[in-house]
Amino acid sequence: MSMPPPSGPSKKARSPSIVRTQAPNSLMSDLSELRKPVEPGVLADAISKLDTLRMTKTPGASVAASAATSPAASASASGPAVPRLGSSTEMLRTLDESTKVIRQNSKAPNRAPSVSGIGAVVEKPDYSEAKIVVAMVGLPARGKSYLSNRLMRYLRWLEYNVEVFNVGQLRRSKARAAQQEGKGKADHSAQFFSHSDQKSNLAREKLAEESLEALIDWLKKEGNVGIMDATNSTFDRREKIRHRVAQESGLQLLYLESFCNDPAVIAANVALKASSGDPDYAGMSREEAEADFRKRIAQYEAVYQTITEPGISFCRILNVGQQVTMNRIEGYLQSRIAFYLMNLHLKPRSIYLSRHGESMYNVEGKIGGDSDLSPRGWEYAKALPELVKKNIGDTPLEVWTSTLQRTIQTGSMLPFEKKTWKSLDELDAGVCDGMTYEEIEASAPAWIRDDDKFNYRYRGGESYRDVVVRLEPVIMELERQENILIIGHQAILRCLYAYFLSLPQEELPYIKIPLHTLIKITPMAYGCHEERYHLPIAAVDTHRPKPNKHSKTGSGQLDTNAAEEVLNRSGAKRDYFGDTAHHSDKPKVPETPGTQVQQALEKAVDAGDVAPKVAQVP
Amino acid sequence: MAAPLYVTQSGRLWHAGLILIVTVGLPARGKTHISRALERYLRWLGVKTRVYSLGDYRRKVLGGAKNVPSDYFQTKSPRSEATNALRRRIKTEIEDQIWDFFTVQGGQVVIYDANNGNVKARKECVEKFESKGVHVIFLESLCDQEAIITANIRSVKLSSPDYAGWDADRAVADYWCRIRDQEGVYDTVTADEGPFIKVMNVGERIEVNQIEGYLQTRCCFFLMNIHTRPRTIYFARSGQSLIEHSYKADSDLSPAGWEYAERLKAAVVARRKAAREERKARGEMLAEENPLLIWTSARRRAYHTAWPFVHSGFKVVQKPIMSEINPGVWDGLSTQEAMEIYPDEWERFLADPYAHRAPRAESYHDLSVRLEPVIFELERCQDDLLIIGHASVIRCLLAYLVGLPPNEVPAVEIARGDLVEVTPASYGVVSRAFHFWSGEGRGDSSGQNLYENFAEATSGKGSVLPDSGVNFAADAMNMEREAQEEEGRDKQAKKEMVKRAMSLRGMGSEEGRRSAPQLDRLNDGREGEVGVGGEQAQEGQGDRDRGTSSGEEVLSDLEGKEQGEMRDERAMSIIQI
Repeated sequence: MSMPPPSGPSKKARSPSIVRTQAPNSLMSDLSELRKPVEPGVLADAISKLDTLRMTKTPGASVAASAATSPAASASASGPAVPRLGSSTEMLRTLDESTKVIRQNSKAPNRAPSVSGIGAVVEKPDYSEAKIVVAMVGLPARGKSYLSNRLMRYLRWLEYNVEVFNVGQLRRSKARAAQQEGKGKADHSAQFFSHSDQKSNLAREKLAEESLEALIDWLKKEGNVGIMDATNSTFDRREKIRHRVAQESGLQLLYLESFCNDPAVIAANVALKASSGDPDYAGMSREEAEADFRKRIAQYEAVYQTITEPGISFCRILNVGQQVTMNRIEGYLQSRIAFYLMNLHLKPRSIYLSRHGESMYNVEGKIGGDSDLSPRGWEYAKALPELVKKNIGDTPLEVWTSTLQRTIQTGSMLPFEKKTWKSLDELDAGVCDGMTYEEIEASAPAWIRDDDKFNYRYRGGESYRDVVVRLEPVIMELERQENILIIGHQAILRCLYAYFLSLPQEELPYIKIPLHTLIKITPMAYGCHEERYHLPIAAVDTHRPKPNKHSKTGSGQLDTNAAEEVLNRSGAKRDYFGDTAHHSDKPKVPETPGTQVQQALEKAVDAGDVAPKVAQVP
Repeated sequence: MAAPLYVTQSGRLWHAGLILIVTVGLPARGKTHISRALERYLRWLGVKTRVYSLGDYRRKVLGGAKNVPSDYFQTKSPRSEATNALRRRIKTEIEDQIWDFFTVQGGQVVIYDANNGNVKARKECVEKFESKGVHVIFLESLCDQEAIITANIRSVKLSSPDYAGWDADRAVADYWCRIRDQEGVYDTVTADEGPFIKVMNVGERIEVNQIEGYLQTRCCFFLMNIHTRPRTIYFARSGQSLIEHSYKADSDLSPAGWEYAERLKAAVVARRKAAREERKARGEMLAEENPLLIWTSARRRAYHTAWPFVHSGFKVVQKPIMSEINPGVWDGLSTQEAMEIYPDEWERFLADPYAHRAPRAESYHDLSVRLEPVIFELERCQDDLLIIGHASVIRCLLAYLVGLPPNEVPAVEIARGDLVEVTPASYGVVSRAFHFWSGEGRGDSSGQNLYENFAEATSGKGSVLPDSGVNFAADAMNMEREAQEEEGRDKQAKKEMVKRAMSLRGMGSEEGRRSAPQLDRLNDGREGEVGVGGEQAQEGQGDRDRGTSSGEEVLSDLEGKEQGEMRDERAMSIIQI
């Protein structure tokens, strides 16, 4: 006979947090352990130990208290705290052991999961109920794809499963396939978009339907938000979508109209389209392409009907943020989407990210704490204003720091307006705060955290997911702002960086954010462009790469290949065929020789210049 | 992210400037409701805000409807000169008061609650205030469903002093007359007039024009989330945990805590039944019962307190941002020790219990900022909601709902074993507390409430005025008996279910050993001691079917177990930790 584990499949739906109990890296070990009666003596011992623990109010406090009478003691207030019930004390282990014995003795049919040790992997919350079709509405060159991509990036960062289903991509990739099969090049000039040509109408109709079907299939299977990126410019077309979505239970439909009457914005969009290598215009001159594209827009304009249908959920955005109308925004996720779109703007700006200068804890190899800068860290703090000034010129800038000393000190020399954010504080390592990785390793092997670092929550502390949730309001505020310099911490900047460069959750905890490096992120039409400026001030390397069986990469080296990969992944170029949009874990990285960049960099560093660490891939 | 990132001398957010929100809308469009909700939210953000209501001021000056000149609301024919002068006077006076609030009292946001249906008058108002550096935005409330308007008249306007002593139907008719009168001369806000927010049918549709700036955008998002559907929000603290005073240990519930968790579920069920009866007795039309949703923090003591709900099939959502206030260096210290080890911090803390942040710790201010997304979700949620949390978190959320000033927040007493019930009403909320449990972990020997750690505790943290209406611990109504009865019924029902299930399977009687002998022995001589020992008296009851609510589930649990062992499983006692 076998004992069914408490986390049988039947419970799965109810309590996602107990699903994990059998994962090898879980520390909730006693749940899967066979229940056997515990020797009375052991149990009695466990209970008495627990009682002792409960009576012992403050381990370590007596030591501190004896010194507290001297005024020096209050100075320790800003220094590292005495770890109470931290993982380095015996107390935590005593507590866990006692708890475990008592739990083992329990005969409850269903036990709540418990954690022993210094942390555990926490399941992602259940998002399976959220299923939204976002149908874009708008003329060509009104920034529909821009909004779709921004929305996708934001929601993916929040761990929703989002895909953009771009009808244009579908059309182009079909045409490409046909051409490759030798059927000749399809004519996708303005003629194809004529609304009086019955044949083209049907062809376009069919493409849109196909795209919607694919979207619905995917939503039903795994998706949360499917964005249908097409013009959907008529009542008729929208009614068809509404009708189709209504046939599926549990799917919500939200129209997102991008309306633009600013000639400058349209002209910029048209120019971008004509010059960006759209295969529709392969073999045409820029002028021809632009003329044809304008003709295409005119074809749509002739039949365009803005949303006036009553009773539907929609969000209309005029000139990206100038005016926003929201109608029947229902549900939490829809309101989040609407609020996000409300905060976007198109003003050119850059976001600068920098870690604090090297801290005393960095030097000692400890994590957490609230230590001061090391001498080298102060050097960085002194050098930072010049670097920033050089880069930003006279444009206004605001500096955001966390509430921890090391970031405040790093920013102290900057001649800009400053704000401190509690939400920018470093990931809370809970019971491991103030320990070195070696000490932590002694409590629990590092692979447990590395196995699923994003989901690993330190006991009494946070996981990367918790940090993402906490940073969401910061992102919202960042979107509203113009030039911002954030002086933050490794885990915090990893999360922010992953948002801007749309990196997946698995990679997020391993993003390299070296000390004494300024990262400049500039939002572009189809992604973000990144530059790194490394100041030649030595610092310890705090990056811990994901353990790899095959190769152990030296983390201290400049890894230009990886950086270029990031640039490519940032999607700074438009993807016309949808080659990378779907399940693109491994985008193709062009074989660029990284050595040249490296040599140039070394030279610059040798010369003592401030040099961009990563050049933009042309 | 929220506004109270910093506090300036003037109490203003210096980057947000002065803002005047001018409501626009015909009578009975929910302007006042929206104004008050917005005021509550902005105040919670730490922004000095006040609603100036033209109607209230007129009533203050003139008294009830009887004293109002008959042509006061007249629009079709010209009003008498005297009435016009009177109207002008009242308008000028209230605008002077608004200016006084901005300049003398250090206010930052004023919500000017009046009809403001005339485009020319609006323009004058904009010019008057913009010239003084105040940013003016219009908040127009529209409604195209007569049913909503009539409901609004009945629920709000009839109780207004204007209609004191009137017959209800006559008053409604009179009010409709007033509305019709105004409709003829009403100008809706257009894009040329400047920034506006239009709210259709209390949040169904929002239109936003040229809204820029931190506070303004936040207001929009807030307005997007509010609704007026009736619902109830419950709050309860988590049960006692094994190591109460440590934040970092994140320990499991103690046996008393588990007992508490069971009782809490019974109490909530019993209270919801009773509340429904009360509404029936008042003659309200009762629709289907609102579903109950449960939110807890991701701390184990909170989630475990919700465990009985999890097992009864309720939807329980864990929210990591609802963790208790972080005690930082004070983790594990008693008040006495905190004073001794960090004397300076302690003094600074006493000076400002709301805003002082100890090293590595969170202030209540930080906590409020962290909780802002929860506030939005709470506003949006249409189901009934039970929040099982920590005293500090409940304090902040209640402070928002009830409208407490920040300095009183840290001192709000929330006893373990009290269920706080908050029901939103048109101009605020109605809150009540119910006492359902007085076991271990509720209070110390002197009757003081016990809190999880020093940062949570109220000792030395200012005070709440006795008549503030938020002394939940003192004002709680006793429902301990009802909760106990409910728990008993629940257990009985489950017992029956198990019995049925087992007889169906031919598995024999469910009678087994009631308790584990070794535990009994341990229990000897340990009575009265704090700790695990106290639990054993209860064993054999809660365990047997803890958390199973459906016959199928019981069956599936029984499958694959041998009979004898099953008996053990079912009947043996637990200390469920």
